[in-house]
Amino acid sequence: MIEVTKVWKRFAAPVLCDVTLTVPTGCLYGLIGPGAAGKSVLLKCLAGLLRPERGSVRLFGQAIEALDEVSLQAVRNRVGMLFQNNALFDHLTVAENIAFPMRRRGITDESVIAARVADRLRAVSLAGFEQRLPGGLSGGQKKRVGVARATVTRAEVVLYDEPAAGLDPVTSQKIFDLLRREQQEAGATVVMVSSDIDRLLTVTDRVGMMLDGALIFDGTTAEAKGSLHPVVKQFVHGEVDGPL
Amino acid sequence: MSAEPHAMERPQGPAEVAARRVLADARELQGVFLRTLYWTAKGRREPGEVARQCFEVGYRSAFFLSVTMGFIGMILVFQSGLQLLRVVPDLTLLGATFLELLVRDLGPTIAAMMLATRVGAGIAAEIGSMVVTEQVDALRMCGVDPVDHLVVPRFIASVVMTAALVMFSGLVSFAAGGATAWFVFDVQPLTYINFSLLDRGDLITGLLKCVAYGAAIPIVSGWCGLTTRGGSEGVGSATTSAVVNSSLAVIMLDLVLTGAGFVVFV
Repeated sequence: MIEVTKVWKRFAAPVLCDVTLTVPTGCLYGLIGPGAAGKSVLLKCLAGLLRPERGSVRLFGQAIEALDEVSLQAVRNRVGMLFQNNALFDHLTVAENIAFPMRRRGITDESVIAARVADRLRAVSLAGFEQRLPGGLSGGQKKRVGVARATVTRAEVVLYDEPAAGLDPVTSQKIFDLLRREQQEAGATVVMVSSDIDRLLTVTDRVGMMLDGALIFDGTTAEAKGSLHPVVKQFVHGEVDGPL
Repeated sequence: MSAEPHAMERPQGPAEVAARRVLADARELQGVFLRTLYWTAKGRREPGEVARQCFEVGYRSAFFLSVTMGFIGMILVFQSGLQLLRVVPDLTLLGATFLELLVRDLGPTIAAMMLATRVGAGIAAEIGSMVVTEQVDALRMCGVDPVDHLVVPRFIASVVMTAALVMFSGLVSFAAGGATAWFVFDVQPLTYINFSLLDRGDLITGLLKCVAYGAAIPIVSGWCGLTTRGGSEGVGSATTSAVVNSSLAVIMLDLVLTGAGFVVFV
Protein backbone atom coordinates (compact mmCIF):
# COMPACT_ATOMS: atom_id res chain seq x y z
CA MET A 1 0.00 0.00 0.00
CA ILE A 2 1.14 3.54 -0.75
CA GLU A 3 0.08 6.21 1.72
CA VAL A 4 0.60 9.89 1.12
CA THR A 5 -0.38 12.15 4.01
CA LYS A 6 -0.62 15.93 3.87
CA VAL A 7 2.37 16.32 1.56
CA TRP A 8 3.67 19.76 0.67
CA LYS A 9 6.41 20.45 -1.85
CA ARG A 10 7.56 23.69 -3.42
CA PHE A 11 10.26 24.84 -5.80
CA ALA A 12 9.95 28.49 -6.83
CA ALA A 13 6.21 28.12 -6.21
CA PRO A 14 4.18 25.44 -4.41
CA VAL A 15 3.83 22.32 -6.56
CA LEU A 16 2.18 19.96 -4.08
CA CYS A 17 -0.33 21.37 -1.60
CA ASP A 18 -1.58 19.18 1.23
CA VAL A 19 -1.89 16.03 -0.90
CA THR A 20 -3.36 13.02 0.86
CA LEU A 21 -3.77 9.80 -1.09
CA THR A 22 -3.94 6.06 -0.49
CA VAL A 23 -3.23 3.49 -3.21
CA PRO A 24 -4.29 -0.01 -2.10
CA THR A 25 -1.99 -2.96 -2.73
CA GLY A 26 -2.52 -4.47 -6.18
CA CYS A 27 -4.34 -1.40 -7.48
CA LEU A 28 -3.62 0.29 -10.81
CA TYR A 29 -4.02 3.95 -9.97
CA GLY A 30 -4.24 6.55 -12.72
CA LEU A 31 -3.11 10.09 -11.96
CA ILE A 32 -4.53 12.67 -14.32
CA GLY A 33 -4.59 16.44 -14.57
CA PRO A 34 -3.54 19.33 -16.78
CA GLY A 35 0.12 20.25 -17.29
CA ALA A 36 2.09 21.54 -14.28
CA ALA A 37 -0.52 20.14 -11.86
CA GLY A 38 2.16 18.32 -9.83
CA LYS A 39 1.64 14.75 -11.10
CA SER A 40 5.28 14.00 -11.96
CA VAL A 41 6.48 15.66 -8.75
CA LEU A 42 4.11 13.48 -6.72
CA LEU A 43 5.40 10.42 -8.57
CA LYS A 44 9.00 11.39 -7.72
CA CYS A 45 8.00 11.88 -4.08
CA LEU A 46 6.54 8.34 -4.11
CA ALA A 47 9.88 7.06 -5.42
CA GLY A 48 11.85 9.00 -2.81
CA LEU A 49 13.57 10.99 -5.55
CA LEU A 50 12.16 14.19 -4.10
CA ARG A 51 11.58 14.80 -0.41
CA PRO A 52 8.43 16.65 0.63
CA GLU A 53 8.92 19.63 2.93
CA ARG A 54 5.91 18.63 5.02
CA GLY A 55 3.87 15.48 5.30
CA SER A 56 4.66 11.83 4.92
CA VAL A 57 5.02 9.25 2.12
CA ARG A 58 4.77 5.65 3.33
CA LEU A 59 5.88 2.79 1.09
CA PHE A 60 5.93 -0.81 2.36
CA GLY A 61 5.04 0.61 5.78
CA GLN A 62 8.12 2.88 5.92
CA ALA A 63 8.10 6.67 5.96
CA ILE A 64 10.55 7.14 3.10
CA GLU A 65 11.05 10.87 3.56
CA ALA A 66 12.90 10.07 6.79
CA LEU A 67 15.31 7.58 5.22
CA ASP A 68 18.87 8.47 4.18
CA GLU A 69 20.08 7.77 0.64
CA VAL A 70 21.65 4.42 1.53
CA SER A 71 18.52 3.15 3.35
CA LEU A 72 16.34 4.38 0.49
CA GLN A 73 18.13 2.00 -1.87
CA ALA A 74 16.59 -1.00 -0.11
CA VAL A 75 13.14 0.50 -0.67
CA ARG A 76 13.86 1.42 -4.29
CA ASN A 77 14.96 -2.15 -4.98
CA ARG A 78 11.26 -3.00 -4.66
CA VAL A 79 10.11 -0.18 -6.97
CA GLY A 80 10.27 0.16 -10.75
CA MET A 81 9.88 3.45 -12.57
CA LEU A 82 9.45 4.69 -16.11
CA PHE A 83 10.50 8.31 -16.55
CA GLN A 84 8.80 10.93 -18.68
CA ASN A 85 11.99 11.32 -20.79
CA ASN A 86 12.73 7.58 -20.65
CA ALA A 87 16.12 8.22 -18.99
CA LEU A 88 17.89 5.43 -20.86
CA PHE A 89 21.63 5.20 -20.24
CA ASP A 90 23.25 6.57 -23.41
CA HIS A 91 26.41 4.47 -23.19
CA LEU A 92 24.62 1.12 -22.72
CA THR A 93 22.92 -0.97 -25.41
CA VAL A 94 19.20 -1.72 -25.24
CA ALA A 95 19.88 -5.14 -23.69
CA GLU A 96 22.31 -3.66 -21.16
CA ASN A 97 19.82 -0.94 -20.26
CA ILE A 98 17.11 -3.49 -19.54
CA ALA A 99 19.47 -5.81 -17.67
CA PHE A 100 20.93 -2.99 -15.57
CA PRO A 101 18.39 -3.09 -12.68
CA MET A 102 18.73 -6.90 -12.47
CA ARG A 103 22.52 -6.77 -12.28
CA ARG A 104 22.45 -4.03 -9.67
CA ARG A 105 20.05 -6.06 -7.56
CA GLY A 106 22.60 -8.85 -7.42
CA ILE A 107 21.35 -11.20 -10.15
CA THR A 108 24.52 -12.64 -11.65
CA ASP A 109 23.28 -15.65 -13.64
CA GLU A 110 23.74 -14.43 -17.22
CA SER A 111 21.31 -17.02 -18.62
CA VAL A 112 18.55 -15.74 -16.31
CA ILE A 113 19.33 -12.15 -17.28
CA ALA A 114 19.40 -12.95 -21.02
CA ALA A 115 16.09 -14.84 -20.83
CA ARG A 116 14.38 -12.04 -18.91
CA VAL A 117 15.72 -9.36 -21.28
CA ALA A 118 14.52 -11.35 -24.30
CA ASP A 119 11.10 -11.79 -22.68
CA ARG A 120 10.81 -8.05 -22.00
CA LEU A 121 11.88 -7.13 -25.52
CA ARG A 122 9.31 -9.50 -26.99
CA ALA A 123 6.65 -7.98 -24.72
CA VAL A 124 7.33 -4.48 -26.06
CA SER A 125 7.75 -5.71 -29.66
CA LEU A 126 11.45 -4.87 -29.84
CA ALA A 127 12.98 -8.32 -30.30
CA GLY A 128 16.18 -7.98 -32.33
CA PHE A 129 17.01 -4.56 -30.91
CA GLU A 130 19.31 -5.93 -28.19
CA GLN A 131 22.57 -4.43 -29.45
CA ARG A 132 21.21 -1.04 -30.54
CA LEU A 133 22.19 2.09 -28.60
CA PRO A 134 19.43 4.42 -27.36
CA GLY A 135 20.70 7.17 -29.67
CA GLY A 136 19.65 5.08 -32.68
CA LEU A 137 16.04 4.56 -31.53
CA SER A 138 12.90 6.56 -32.28
CA GLY A 139 11.01 8.26 -29.44
CA GLY A 140 8.41 5.48 -29.32
CA GLN A 141 11.07 2.75 -29.29
CA LYS A 142 12.88 4.49 -26.44
CA LYS A 143 9.62 4.62 -24.52
CA ARG A 144 9.13 0.89 -25.00
CA VAL A 145 12.69 0.14 -23.85
CA GLY A 146 11.91 2.27 -20.78
CA VAL A 147 8.79 0.18 -20.13
CA ALA A 148 10.84 -3.02 -20.49
CA ARG A 149 13.42 -1.73 -17.99
CA ALA A 150 10.76 -0.62 -15.50
CA THR A 151 9.11 -4.04 -15.50
CA VAL A 152 12.18 -6.30 -15.75
CA THR A 153 12.57 -6.89 -12.00
CA ARG A 154 8.85 -7.58 -11.40
CA ALA A 155 8.85 -4.87 -8.74
CA GLU A 156 6.09 -4.73 -6.12
CA VAL A 157 5.41 -1.08 -6.89
CA VAL A 158 5.76 0.38 -10.39
CA LEU A 159 5.49 4.07 -11.24
CA TYR A 160 4.91 5.13 -14.84
CA ASP A 161 5.28 8.73 -15.96
CA GLU A 162 3.59 9.09 -19.35
CA PRO A 163 4.11 5.52 -20.61
CA ALA A 164 2.44 6.24 -23.95
CA ALA A 165 3.70 9.73 -24.74
CA GLY A 166 4.86 9.97 -28.34
CA LEU A 167 3.35 6.64 -29.37
CA ASP A 168 0.81 6.09 -32.13
CA PRO A 169 -2.72 5.13 -30.96
CA VAL A 170 -2.32 1.42 -31.71
CA THR A 171 1.03 1.07 -29.96
CA SER A 172 -0.26 3.24 -27.14
CA GLN A 173 -3.22 0.94 -26.51
CA LYS A 174 -0.90 -2.09 -26.75
CA ILE A 175 1.38 -0.56 -24.11
CA PHE A 176 -1.53 0.15 -21.75
CA ASP A 177 -2.83 -3.39 -22.21
CA LEU A 178 0.67 -4.77 -21.62
CA LEU A 179 1.11 -2.74 -18.45
CA ARG A 180 -2.30 -3.85 -17.18
CA ARG A 181 -1.50 -7.50 -17.92
CA GLU A 182 1.89 -7.19 -16.20
CA GLN A 183 0.31 -5.56 -13.18
CA GLN A 184 -2.33 -8.28 -12.86
CA GLU A 185 0.18 -11.11 -13.30
CA ALA A 186 2.63 -9.67 -10.75
CA GLY A 187 -0.04 -8.34 -8.39
CA ALA A 188 1.92 -5.09 -8.36
CA THR A 189 0.72 -1.75 -7.12
CA VAL A 190 0.95 0.70 -10.01
CA VAL A 191 0.67 4.47 -10.19
CA MET A 192 0.44 5.75 -13.74
CA VAL A 193 0.52 9.34 -14.92
CA SER A 194 -0.81 9.83 -18.42
CA SER A 195 -2.33 12.53 -20.58
CA ASP A 196 -3.95 9.88 -22.76
CA ILE A 197 -7.10 9.84 -20.63
CA ASP A 198 -9.25 7.68 -22.90
CA ARG A 199 -6.78 4.80 -22.96
CA LEU A 200 -5.67 5.26 -19.36
CA LEU A 201 -9.22 4.86 -18.10
CA THR A 202 -9.54 1.52 -19.89
CA VAL A 203 -6.98 -0.03 -17.53
CA THR A 204 -7.21 1.80 -14.19
CA ASP A 205 -8.92 0.61 -10.99
CA ARG A 206 -8.87 4.02 -9.35
CA VAL A 207 -8.21 7.54 -10.56
CA GLY A 208 -6.94 10.71 -8.91
CA MET A 209 -7.06 14.14 -10.49
CA MET A 210 -4.62 16.91 -9.62
CA LEU A 211 -5.01 20.61 -10.21
CA ASP A 212 -2.56 23.31 -9.14
CA GLY A 213 -0.75 20.93 -6.80
CA ALA A 214 -3.87 19.67 -5.03
CA LEU A 215 -5.66 16.34 -5.37
CA ILE A 216 -9.18 17.40 -6.25
CA PHE A 217 -10.62 13.96 -6.97
CA ASP A 218 -9.91 10.42 -5.77
CA GLY A 219 -12.24 7.57 -6.65
CA THR A 220 -12.87 4.53 -8.83
CA THR A 221 -12.63 4.75 -12.59
CA ALA A 222 -16.41 4.54 -12.87
CA GLU A 223 -16.79 7.37 -10.34
CA ALA A 224 -14.33 9.48 -12.33
CA LYS A 225 -16.26 8.94 -15.54
CA GLY A 226 -19.53 9.84 -13.84
CA SER A 227 -18.16 12.67 -11.68
CA LEU A 228 -20.21 15.84 -11.54
CA HIS A 229 -17.22 17.89 -10.30
CA PRO A 230 -17.04 20.49 -13.09
CA VAL A 231 -13.24 20.29 -13.51
CA VAL A 232 -13.11 16.49 -13.39
CA LYS A 233 -16.07 16.20 -15.74
CA GLN A 234 -14.55 18.60 -18.25
CA PHE A 235 -11.11 16.96 -18.10
CA VAL A 236 -12.26 13.33 -18.24
CA HIS A 237 -14.63 13.95 -21.12
CA GLY A 238 -12.33 16.35 -22.93
CA GLU A 239 -14.90 19.12 -23.09
CA VAL A 240 -13.84 22.50 -24.42
CA ASP A 241 -16.25 24.55 -22.32
CA GLY A 242 -15.76 24.53 -18.58
CA PRO A 243 -13.68 25.93 -15.72
CA LEU A 244 -10.30 24.74 -17.12
CA MET B 1 -7.07 22.94 0.81
CA SER B 2 -5.12 24.01 3.92
CA ALA B 3 -3.11 27.21 3.99
CA GLU B 4 0.39 26.84 2.57
CA PRO B 5 2.78 26.43 5.52
CA HIS B 6 5.53 28.48 3.88
CA ALA B 7 3.31 31.54 3.86
CA MET B 8 3.49 31.52 7.66
CA GLU B 9 7.31 31.69 7.81
CA ARG B 10 9.03 35.02 8.49
CA PRO B 11 10.74 36.66 5.49
CA GLN B 12 14.54 36.20 5.23
CA GLY B 13 17.08 38.89 4.36
CA PRO B 14 19.57 38.39 1.50
CA ALA B 15 22.45 37.73 3.93
CA GLU B 16 20.46 35.05 5.74
CA VAL B 17 19.43 33.47 2.45
CA ALA B 18 23.08 33.43 1.27
CA ALA B 19 24.30 32.01 4.60
CA ARG B 20 21.66 29.26 4.49
CA ARG B 21 22.63 28.43 0.92
CA VAL B 22 26.34 28.19 1.81
CA LEU B 23 25.50 25.93 4.77
CA ALA B 24 23.24 23.76 2.61
CA ASP B 25 25.97 23.51 -0.08
CA ALA B 26 28.55 22.59 2.56
CA ARG B 27 26.24 19.87 3.91
CA GLU B 28 25.68 18.48 0.40
CA LEU B 29 29.40 18.53 -0.38
CA GLN B 30 30.13 16.79 2.90
CA GLY B 31 27.48 14.20 2.02
CA VAL B 32 29.11 13.50 -1.36
CA PHE B 33 32.53 13.28 0.32
CA LEU B 34 31.37 10.81 2.99
CA ARG B 35 29.40 8.70 0.50
CA THR B 36 32.45 8.61 -1.79
CA LEU B 37 34.58 7.24 1.04
CA TYR B 38 31.84 4.78 2.05
CA TRP B 39 31.34 3.42 -1.47
CA THR B 40 35.07 3.34 -2.18
CA ALA B 41 35.34 0.91 0.71
CA LYS B 42 32.08 -1.00 0.18
CA GLY B 43 30.92 -0.40 -3.39
CA ARG B 44 30.91 -2.77 -6.34
CA ARG B 45 32.80 -1.55 -9.41
CA GLU B 46 31.68 -2.16 -12.97
CA PRO B 47 34.44 -4.21 -14.64
CA GLY B 48 36.90 -1.93 -16.42
CA GLU B 49 35.26 1.31 -15.28
CA VAL B 50 38.16 2.48 -13.09
CA ALA B 51 40.63 1.63 -15.88
CA ARG B 52 38.51 3.62 -18.35
CA GLN B 53 38.50 6.60 -16.00
CA CYS B 54 42.26 6.26 -15.44
CA PHE B 55 42.65 6.50 -19.21
CA GLU B 56 40.35 9.56 -19.33
CA VAL B 57 42.00 11.35 -16.41
CA GLY B 58 45.58 10.21 -16.93
CA TYR B 59 46.40 9.48 -20.54
CA ARG B 60 44.19 12.17 -22.02
CA SER B 61 45.61 14.83 -19.66
CA ALA B 62 49.28 13.83 -19.94
CA PHE B 63 50.14 15.86 -23.06
CA PHE B 64 48.26 18.99 -21.97
CA LEU B 65 49.80 18.85 -18.51
CA SER B 66 53.33 18.15 -19.75
CA VAL B 67 53.27 21.05 -22.19
CA THR B 68 51.89 23.43 -19.55
CA MET B 69 54.33 22.33 -16.89
CA GLY B 70 57.20 22.44 -19.36
CA PHE B 71 56.51 26.07 -20.18
CA ILE B 72 56.03 26.92 -16.51
CA GLY B 73 59.39 25.30 -15.74
CA MET B 74 61.09 27.39 -18.41
CA ILE B 75 59.45 30.62 -17.24
CA LEU B 76 60.20 30.04 -13.57
CA VAL B 77 63.86 29.13 -14.11
CA PHE B 78 64.32 32.09 -16.44
CA GLN B 79 62.74 34.55 -13.97
CA SER B 80 64.51 33.01 -10.96
CA GLY B 81 67.85 33.18 -12.76
CA LEU B 82 67.36 36.86 -13.59
CA GLN B 83 66.41 37.68 -9.99
CA LEU B 84 69.31 35.68 -8.54
CA LEU B 85 71.82 37.41 -10.80
CA ARG B 86 70.73 40.76 -9.40
CA VAL B 87 71.63 39.63 -5.87
CA VAL B 88 74.49 37.14 -6.24
CA PRO B 89 76.29 36.21 -9.47
CA ASP B 90 76.09 32.51 -8.58
CA LEU B 91 73.53 30.16 -10.10
CA THR B 92 74.89 26.86 -8.76
CA LEU B 93 71.80 26.35 -6.55
CA LEU B 94 69.30 27.36 -9.24
CA GLY B 95 68.34 23.75 -10.01
CA ALA B 96 68.28 22.67 -6.37
CA THR B 97 66.03 25.59 -5.35
CA PHE B 98 63.69 25.03 -8.28
CA LEU B 99 63.51 21.30 -7.57
CA GLU B 100 62.58 21.85 -3.93
CA LEU B 101 59.90 24.34 -4.90
CA LEU B 102 58.63 22.03 -7.64
CA VAL B 103 58.38 18.96 -5.42
CA ARG B 104 57.01 20.68 -2.35
CA ASP B 105 54.49 23.06 -3.89
CA LEU B 106 54.48 24.19 -7.50
CA GLY B 107 54.40 20.78 -9.19
CA PRO B 108 51.34 19.38 -7.41
CA THR B 109 49.48 22.68 -7.16
CA ILE B 110 49.87 23.96 -10.72
CA ALA B 111 49.25 20.50 -12.17
CA ALA B 112 46.13 20.15 -10.02
CA MET B 113 44.85 23.56 -11.16
CA MET B 114 45.29 22.42 -14.76
CA LEU B 115 43.55 19.13 -13.98
CA ALA B 116 40.70 21.00 -12.31
CA THR B 117 40.00 22.80 -15.59
CA ARG B 118 40.21 19.72 -17.76
CA VAL B 119 39.04 16.83 -15.59
CA GLY B 120 36.72 18.80 -13.28
CA ALA B 121 34.84 20.37 -16.18
CA GLY B 122 34.47 16.98 -17.87
CA ILE B 123 33.13 15.29 -14.75
CA ALA B 124 30.60 18.04 -14.05
CA ALA B 125 29.41 18.20 -17.66
CA GLU B 126 28.98 14.42 -17.94
CA ILE B 127 27.16 14.01 -14.62
CA GLY B 128 25.19 17.23 -15.09
CA SER B 129 23.83 16.13 -18.46
CA MET B 130 22.83 12.80 -16.90
CA VAL B 131 20.96 14.72 -14.18
CA VAL B 132 18.95 16.86 -16.60
CA THR B 133 18.00 13.82 -18.71
CA GLU B 134 16.84 11.98 -15.54
CA GLN B 135 19.51 9.29 -15.99
CA VAL B 136 20.75 9.94 -12.45
CA ASP B 137 17.21 9.46 -11.12
CA ALA B 138 17.02 6.25 -13.16
CA LEU B 139 20.24 5.07 -11.52
CA ARG B 140 18.76 5.75 -8.09
CA MET B 141 15.64 3.81 -9.04
CA CYS B 142 17.85 0.88 -10.05
CA GLY B 143 19.10 0.78 -6.47
CA VAL B 144 22.34 2.56 -7.32
CA ASP B 145 23.73 5.51 -5.42
CA PRO B 146 24.91 7.92 -8.18
CA VAL B 147 27.92 8.75 -6.02
CA ASP B 148 28.91 5.06 -6.08
CA HIS B 149 28.35 4.65 -9.82
CA LEU B 150 29.54 8.01 -11.14
CA VAL B 151 31.84 9.69 -8.62
CA VAL B 152 33.75 6.78 -7.04
CA PRO B 153 35.40 5.43 -10.25
CA ARG B 154 36.51 8.98 -11.10
CA PHE B 155 37.67 9.50 -7.52
CA ILE B 156 39.87 6.37 -7.52
CA ALA B 157 41.22 7.17 -10.99
CA SER B 158 41.90 10.79 -10.08
CA VAL B 159 43.78 9.96 -6.86
CA VAL B 160 46.02 7.45 -8.65
CA MET B 161 46.52 9.39 -11.87
CA THR B 162 47.03 12.82 -10.27
CA ALA B 163 50.06 11.46 -8.42
CA ALA B 164 51.38 9.85 -11.60
CA LEU B 165 50.71 12.94 -13.71
CA VAL B 166 52.33 15.28 -11.19
CA MET B 167 55.49 13.15 -11.14
CA PHE B 168 55.65 12.91 -14.91
CA SER B 169 54.82 16.55 -15.63
CA GLY B 170 57.15 17.64 -12.79
CA LEU B 171 59.95 15.76 -14.50
CA VAL B 172 59.13 17.51 -17.77
CA SER B 173 59.05 20.86 -15.99
CA PHE B 174 62.41 20.25 -14.31
CA ALA B 175 63.95 19.14 -17.60
CA ALA B 176 62.56 22.18 -19.45
CA GLY B 177 63.88 24.41 -16.67
CA GLY B 178 67.27 22.70 -16.99
CA ALA B 179 67.36 23.39 -20.72
CA THR B 180 66.55 27.05 -20.06
CA ALA B 181 69.26 27.27 -17.39
CA TRP B 182 71.79 25.75 -19.77
CA PHE B 183 70.98 27.83 -22.85
CA VAL B 184 70.22 31.17 -21.14
CA PHE B 185 72.50 31.17 -18.07
CA ASP B 186 75.08 28.57 -19.11
CA VAL B 187 74.34 26.43 -16.05
CA GLN B 188 75.63 22.93 -16.89
CA PRO B 189 73.17 20.03 -16.48
CA LEU B 190 75.37 18.35 -13.85
CA THR B 191 75.27 21.54 -11.80
CA TYR B 192 71.54 22.04 -12.37
CA ILE B 193 70.59 18.49 -11.30
CA ASN B 194 71.15 18.96 -7.59
CA PHE B 195 69.12 17.13 -4.94
CA SER B 196 70.91 18.67 -1.96
CA LEU B 197 67.98 20.84 -0.82
CA LEU B 198 65.39 18.10 -1.19
CA ASP B 199 64.47 16.33 2.03
CA ARG B 200 61.91 13.82 3.35
CA GLY B 201 59.49 16.62 4.32
CA ASP B 202 59.42 17.95 0.75
CA LEU B 203 58.64 14.52 -0.66
CA ILE B 204 55.93 13.70 1.90
CA THR B 205 54.29 17.12 1.61
CA GLY B 206 54.32 16.91 -2.19
CA LEU B 207 52.87 13.42 -2.20
CA LEU B 208 50.16 14.35 0.31
CA LYS B 209 49.19 17.27 -1.90
CA CYS B 210 48.91 14.98 -4.92
CA VAL B 211 46.53 12.69 -3.02
CA ALA B 212 44.49 15.55 -1.54
CA TYR B 213 44.10 17.36 -4.86
CA GLY B 214 43.37 14.12 -6.68
CA ALA B 215 40.59 13.42 -4.20
CA ALA B 216 39.19 16.96 -4.09
CA ILE B 217 38.76 17.52 -7.83
CA PRO B 218 36.33 14.64 -8.57
CA ILE B 219 34.41 15.12 -5.32
CA VAL B 220 33.86 18.85 -5.85
CA SER B 221 33.15 18.42 -9.57
CA GLY B 222 30.90 15.43 -8.94
CA TRP B 223 28.95 17.44 -6.39
CA CYS B 224 28.58 20.31 -8.91
CA GLY B 225 27.33 17.83 -11.51
CA LEU B 226 24.90 16.10 -9.16
CA THR B 227 23.36 19.41 -8.07
CA THR B 228 22.70 20.55 -11.65
CA ARG B 229 19.29 22.20 -12.09
CA GLY B 230 17.38 23.00 -15.26
CA GLY B 231 18.46 22.10 -18.78
CA SER B 232 21.57 22.76 -20.86
CA GLU B 233 22.01 26.14 -19.17
CA GLY B 234 22.22 24.32 -15.85
CA VAL B 235 24.88 21.99 -17.24
CA GLY B 236 26.91 25.05 -18.32
CA SER B 237 26.62 26.58 -14.85
CA ALA B 238 27.59 23.30 -13.21
CA THR B 239 30.68 23.04 -15.42
CA THR B 240 31.75 26.59 -14.58
CA SER B 241 31.12 25.97 -10.88
CA ALA B 242 33.15 22.76 -11.02
CA VAL B 243 36.21 24.55 -12.43
CA VAL B 244 35.92 27.48 -10.01
CA ASN B 245 35.22 25.38 -6.91
CA SER B 246 37.82 22.70 -7.73
CA SER B 247 40.48 25.38 -8.24
CA LEU B 248 39.42 27.03 -4.99
CA ALA B 249 39.61 23.69 -3.19
CA VAL B 250 43.14 23.13 -4.55
CA ILE B 251 44.30 26.55 -3.34
CA MET B 252 42.71 26.10 0.10
CA LEU B 253 44.19 22.62 0.48
CA ASP B 254 47.55 24.00 -0.61
CA LEU B 255 47.47 26.54 2.20
CA VAL B 256 46.46 23.95 4.79
CA LEU B 257 48.97 21.30 3.70
CA THR B 258 51.80 23.78 3.26
CA GLY B 259 51.16 25.06 6.79
CA ALA B 260 50.93 21.52 8.16
CA GLY B 261 54.12 20.52 6.30
CA PHE B 262 55.92 23.54 7.70
CA VAL B 263 54.82 22.75 11.26
CA VAL B 264 55.70 19.05 11.02
CA PHE B 265 58.89 19.04 9.00
CA VAL B 266 60.64 22.36 9.65
